[in-house]
Amino acid sequence: MPKEFRISGRLAAWDLRGGPLAPAPGRPRLLGSGPLSRLLRTDAETSGEPWAKPQTPSSLTPDTAVISPQDPTLLIGSSLQATCSVHGDPPGATAEGLYWTLNGRRLAPELSRVLNASTLALALANLNGSRQQSGDNLVCHARDGSILAGSCLYVGLPPEKPFNISCWSKNMKDLTCRWTPGAHGETFLHTNYSLKYKLRWYGQDNTCEEYHTVGPHSCHIPKDLALFTPYEIWVEATNRLGSARSDVLTLDILDVVTTDPPPDVHVSRVGGLEDQLSVRWVSPPALKDFLFQAKYQIRYRVEDSVDWKVVDDVSNQTSCRLAGLKPGTVYFVQVRCNPFGIYGSKKAGIWSEWSHPTAASTPRSERPGPGGGVCEPRGGEPSSGPVRRELKQFLGWLKKHAYCSNLSFRLYDQWRAWMQKTHKTRNQDEGILPSGRRGTTRGPAR
Amino acid sequence: MSRREGSLDPQADSSVSPLPHLEAKIRQTHSLARLLTKYAEQLLQEYVQHQGDPFGLPGFSPPRLPVAGLSAPAAGHAGLPAPERLRLDAAALTALPPLLDVVRRHQAELNPRAPRLLRRLEDAARQARALGAAVEAVLAALGAETRGPPAEPAAAASAAATAAGVFPAKVLGLRVCGLYREWVSRTEGDLGQLVPGGPA
Repeated sequence: MPKEFRISGRLAAWDLRGGPLAPAPGRPRLLGSGPLSRLLRTDAETSGEPWAKPQTPSSLTPDTAVISPQDPTLLIGSSLQATCSVHGDPPGATAEGLYWTLNGRRLAPELSRVLNASTLALALANLNGSRQQSGDNLVCHARDGSILAGSCLYVGLPPEKPFNISCWSKNMKDLTCRWTPGAHGETFLHTNYSLKYKLRWYGQDNTCEEYHTVGPHSCHIPKDLALFTPYEIWVEATNRLGSARSDVLTLDILDVVTTDPPPDVHVSRVGGLEDQLSVRWVSPPALKDFLFQAKYQIRYRVEDSVDWKVVDDVSNQTSCRLAGLKPGTVYFVQVRCNPFGIYGSKKAGIWSEWSHPTAASTPRSERPGPGGGVCEPRGGEPSSGPVRRELKQFLGWLKKHAYCSNLSFRLYDQWRAWMQKTHKTRNQDEGILPSGRRGTTRGPAR
Repeated sequence: MSRREGSLDPQADSSVSPLPHLEAKIRQTHSLARLLTKYAEQLLQEYVQHQGDPFGLPGFSPPRLPVAGLSAPAAGHAGLPAPERLRLDAAALTALPPLLDVVRRHQAELNPRAPRLLRRLEDAARQARALGAAVEAVLAALGAETRGPPAEPAAAASAAATAAGVFPAKVLGLRVCGLYREWVSRTEGDLGQLVPGGPA
């Protein structure tokens, strides 16, 4: 049986008696046979020694040529000295006429020089980062352009320390962590990130196995997590040029709990009130057994806008009324939940994702206004007139003292309804038609 | 089946038609080969994309190195009798999966962030096995001999053929993907000649 040798981390099989494995009669010769067995060594790969004697050569065909070094790894900005040595097939082949390409582009002749009759040397300086993770293709060509040998260059940077680790647990059942790679991850080399975790006071290091669950730098631990005890979590980054380790994050699962968004969010009109919508939802069921108090947030926007308005401090309620909206307008509404107070903890949890958007429209306004329609002043501010000034004052008071108070909204509804009635009556008395024009018939003056 | 080059039995009376299930089997296998020819082309394009230039450049022509256990269809393949062609097709399709597995393992190291390429290589191995088995079933239904003595396991041969270098490994992968495309395309052509109403 042929003995196995390790070459640059890869295995190749060789027959110790006669060199390469002899092919069966009539079978094609094996790739990589020929002079490789005579030049075989077991040491690690080289890296750019000047005019290095071929150590782990690469031949595409037997008895053709050899490039050294083979598959070197180099820092960005460093230099490379390489050689291409031909082996006399066809007989009399020399280094004259040979040339180099790198990633398919022919290299300038002045970068090469003929070392001896059979060896062409190359000097590259100030190398850029590798164009692809499989390595830059450095190829030695014969005069007719045929490929004699190739070597792949790995030019990059060692990884920097990963940072900004954040983790969350969905309903206390799992743990997902996300991090930022150092130097924004651009090392030009394949860099492996490994999330490690252990119980702080005891236990062995564990390695997360489910990667890329919420983005390229994330990992998910699905089970077997302890509660009421701290974990230490860190990230290790490794590539061909080195490794780096993040700072350790210490956390208790109970302090990073999040939950599902509130289900069954419904948005509906509030009777005929043209500037209000009612939002109702259900508390997430997954944490109902864990004694938590939910906080909620609502955000809403006009249909054709990208600007959300956020309603904070919707504490532990499952309904809210939005006011100061534009009449006759479609609004999108979302709700999210923060499960703070799990098992009596005073710490806030982590906000859930927003619920799916739910849409509803406010009724169109029946009140006359400038231009024939009611346009709510920008930002809800009244533009002119005594009624509008009062409205502004009342809205300001309402927002300050009782934003989501049911009692206040009832009063406000009553006030609004009264205002509308008062306004209609005033218009009729003055003979003002809905379009704003005065009619010919006048009613009694008030 | 009509008398024509590559017909199943040159001595057969032209009025004797194959069993309906054989026709159906041939059509089905031909359709599979046609689909896999398309996939093989996609695999080749995906492969060269991830190796970097010059692999994807027009005119790139590395040495067509022989791969242990498998060679390209011979020049005279089309002139052989149909059963012989199908036997060669089946043998090649059987030899391909271990070679594709070797290429996938290389690429898992070289291009770990190319899941689509790795998946295509895995699928190609599985699909080559399936097509090879389907061709052998057609041969059996025709009453023709299927495989000869089992060949040297391609896995051992391909492991031995693992080049000492990344560039040769890239070239090997290109060669294997190219052979896969050639053989599924060849199989499609050979079966197409057997499909009733197909090209003479």
